[in-house]
Amino acid sequence: MNGDSHADLLQPPSNIEPTVLERTASHYTPLPTYQLPKGEHRHYQQQYADMYFARLAQLKPAVEQIASEAWADFEIGGETASRKDRVLDVRQGELCWVAGTVYMEMPLKPNVLEDIGKEHWIAAPPPRVKYDTGVGLGGDSERGAHAGGGKGLAGAQIMLEDESGRLRLTGGYLSGGLLVTGAIVAVMGTENSDGDFEVLDLRVPDLPRQPPRWETEDGDAALQGKSVTKKRPSSGKVAIISGLGVSGVEGDTLLLDLLLEYLLGESTDPASQQQAASISRLIIAGNSLSHSSPIPSREELAAATKKGGRKTYGYDSASYNAAPTDHLDQWLATLLPSIPITLLPGEQDPTSTSLPQQPIHAAMFPHSRAYMNPPTAPEGPGWFDSTTNPAEFSADGWRFLGTGGQPVDDVYKYLPDCEERLEMMEAMLRWRLTAPTAPDTLWCYPFQDGDQFVMKECPHVFLVGNQPKFETTVVEGPLGQQVRVLAVPRFKETGELILLDCETLVPEIVRFEVLDEG
Amino acid sequence: MAQDYTEWLAINVLNEQQLVSYRSLSRALKVHSNLAKQMLYDFHRKQNAKKPGTLHATYLITGIKRTERPATNGTHSQRDGEHTVMQSSPLLPSSSALKPDEHDDEEPNAVQTVMLVKQESLELAKSKFESITGIHIYSLQAKGLGDIQSLTECNRKIAVDYDLEDPLEAWKQYGTIQNPNVKRRTQRRQLPPPPAPVAKAAVAKAKPPIPTAKPTTLKKEASKDSQEAKPTSNASAKATTEPAKKPPTNKRQSSDIFKSFAKGKPKAKTEQESQGSAGSTPKAAPDDEPIAGFSDEEDADEGDADIIEEAPQAVDGKSKKEREAELQAMMEQEDEVMEDAAGAELEHAEADVDEGAIDKPDLQAEEPKETVQFENGRRRGRRRVMKKKTVKDEDGYLVTKEEATWESFSEDEPAPKRIKVPPTTSMSKSTTTAAGKKGAKPGGSNIMSFFSKK
Repeated sequence: MNGDSHADLLQPPSNIEPTVLERTASHYTPLPTYQLPKGEHRHYQQQYADMYFARLAQLKPAVEQIASEAWADFEIGGETASRKDRVLDVRQGELCWVAGTVYMEMPLKPNVLEDIGKEHWIAAPPPRVKYDTGVGLGGDSERGAHAGGGKGLAGAQIMLEDESGRLRLTGGYLSGGLLVTGAIVAVMGTENSDGDFEVLDLRVPDLPRQPPRWETEDGDAALQGKSVTKKRPSSGKVAIISGLGVSGVEGDTLLLDLLLEYLLGESTDPASQQQAASISRLIIAGNSLSHSSPIPSREELAAATKKGGRKTYGYDSASYNAAPTDHLDQWLATLLPSIPITLLPGEQDPTSTSLPQQPIHAAMFPHSRAYMNPPTAPEGPGWFDSTTNPAEFSADGWRFLGTGGQPVDDVYKYLPDCEERLEMMEAMLRWRLTAPTAPDTLWCYPFQDGDQFVMKECPHVFLVGNQPKFETTVVEGPLGQQVRVLAVPRFKETGELILLDCETLVPEIVRFEVLDEG
Repeated sequence: MAQDYTEWLAINVLNEQQLVSYRSLSRALKVHSNLAKQMLYDFHRKQNAKKPGTLHATYLITGIKRTERPATNGTHSQRDGEHTVMQSSPLLPSSSALKPDEHDDEEPNAVQTVMLVKQESLELAKSKFESITGIHIYSLQAKGLGDIQSLTECNRKIAVDYDLEDPLEAWKQYGTIQNPNVKRRTQRRQLPPPPAPVAKAAVAKAKPPIPTAKPTTLKKEASKDSQEAKPTSNASAKATTEPAKKPPTNKRQSSDIFKSFAKGKPKAKTEQESQGSAGSTPKAAPDDEPIAGFSDEEDADEGDADIIEEAPQAVDGKSKKEREAELQAMMEQEDEVMEDAAGAELEHAEADVDEGAIDKPDLQAEEPKETVQFENGRRRGRRRVMKKKTVKDEDGYLVTKEEATWESFSEDEPAPKRIKVPPTTSMSKSTTTAAGKKGAKPGGSNIMSFFSKK
């Protein structure tokens, strides 16, 4: 029937004692970067504008440094570019450069006044895929905000903003690249007769400093006075998955079962089981449940009103179905005795809807709760770590930055013809912003003291969940930083699990399928 | 061993027509999963040799599928129809990885496939693979498998049937990958309490100023209660209660009502409750001196307790100190459980209800000792009664404290005594409630004491 090696299990039981496999250990240190203060210390009284100011203040030095290095010797027609402190200081005809926040005015962006008007419409508005119609002046080859010199009356406009004011940007240069509201950039050019700033060149803050491997653990050990171990055991692999989409509806959970058995090392042949034993941690990047978000989206609300049902603002407790969380909890509790799990919430998970989403509460997991840290006495990372979204942690020495996909999905909506999610992720890294479009179109917490979404240190692995397909690349920075960017596909649709080797940071895929023909 | 599995499989698959996966077999016979897979194969082969077509199997194939284009590593050099927005170089000058020409250098990511197929499609599936790492039987069933999704039934049954096994100990034999670093809290497994009592508790909380003729909650609460001993008893005294004590106060009072309602609560409640009390215990430092008073008071309240927990032997003449010591011991015991839930989802409502549950068992023990000697149209005996005592607090506040004292009674005046005294076991539930409520009053508001002795 088959060759010898893989037919081992297709034979009568032998008397050989099967070996018991042991899993590779996982070194894990979660970082509290995105934890919000609890209870009464979390205030919502502040304005969101403060976030923009804080972001600008944090990133302006970096971008100005890069810009001044780049444009110090720049000359056009004998004129060198001078630096302006404020956006409104630019003068007509003068070559200069200035740094500020990008703001994009887009016709299809969610607008609360329009929403109220639409409530009286009969038909629910279709969900927005992109905020830009992609129609502008200037011909078919260039579309959208970046087209026609940004004058697109039907399209969008790009502006540069800082504490002093706004400046409209134009120029063919803009059509070449990615810009979204909230990115901090430095532009060089001159003001033209219309009062618009014609852009000749543009710079971004680029990747921040990247800590060397094991820095978090070594730093902690040094602080505690312990000796810093030079020799670390070789790490295994990290399994990354996203979009489990447990819905409580039977009929689509077979893939989850296959995944479970594979990770536990019970299914497949001994060789694959050995491989599975080298997986030291499972990271679930969002959307473990489907439709469990407590707040209905704009589209759902519009649909509900249309049906003539009760319009429940917020949470309708009568319609709660415990089956999905129960199923998820059982699934996790079956895995936990063997493998530690890090769980990030996603858009459809039962936790806060604004970024940074807080960890899914232990109350949702009656069985898996035993593996979590007790709430009053957290001693080190929990075996089952329910963490924030976005989340920053150090696994096997590498710094991971993960999100459940909402920031990238939102950036996607800003770019009229770009389908390249890897590009967007790279751009986010170079802008040093985990969620650039927050708070404009992405709900977030009004940070007062500093924008938490600014990346202070460059991660080694940047993973984004709930993407349509698996993509990966390595992004390099000016100081030699290297970031492995991973777009994690939705498991429910693709059945793909990503295994990231922690020694080489090269990913591989394990795909689960059920052949259902005939 | 060889015979066991053949027999077991014959019974379950052929006779009972069940769906048996290698996992179900491994758990039933307590063998390693790989061994179970081999057993399944052997049985399948033998059975099919005897009577072909009686058994159907599903297989799990692991391997590398026939070349799929490694399309999934962001090669946008292949997107030629796309528009120049793709070029990131102008805006992201240091972008090196995304230049289209560099993509072809990246090696395709390794894709391993794990595929589940029915036996009819096995050959077809194998042809899709370029190289196969392993095949094994996933499950056996007597008839053909209609919906392959029904295989989830196997795992669900395992979860239900083997729920009581401790994974950390039992799963080693099944071949699950062991993890020596696993951290698990030792806590008695308990599921969240049903929502119904919570609703009731919420109602109860709406009537806070019910003076505590029946203060006590549980012995575990005793320490917490001790703090409230002084301020709690009256409405007037309440005014002096510090806000910090208010929530525990409310809890205690609501619990009094619940003691009457609560009946035969399961042990799970006890656990929840102990956690609830644990939460409040850190708030109030245990204070020894009024514990004595409270341990006595507990006994006075009695619902129609059906369960008798292992309450300490409460003898009539037992000294307060001894009882107090026992309470402390029991509290110590419960510590680990308390830690878990302390401060977490501490819901007052739940705690309230639970307090009621615990009280009854405790009181139950006390009750027999104090009730009537005989019933003969005339009840007599020693009984506990709440007497008020007004003392001056250190701050100069007048605090009225309720204390339980023994008194003897006889049935000459059954009705008024009923009203005044907290309910006894002999009464029905509704009466208990009514009497309980009324009994609750006298100690508290001065107005009601007007009605106490007629």
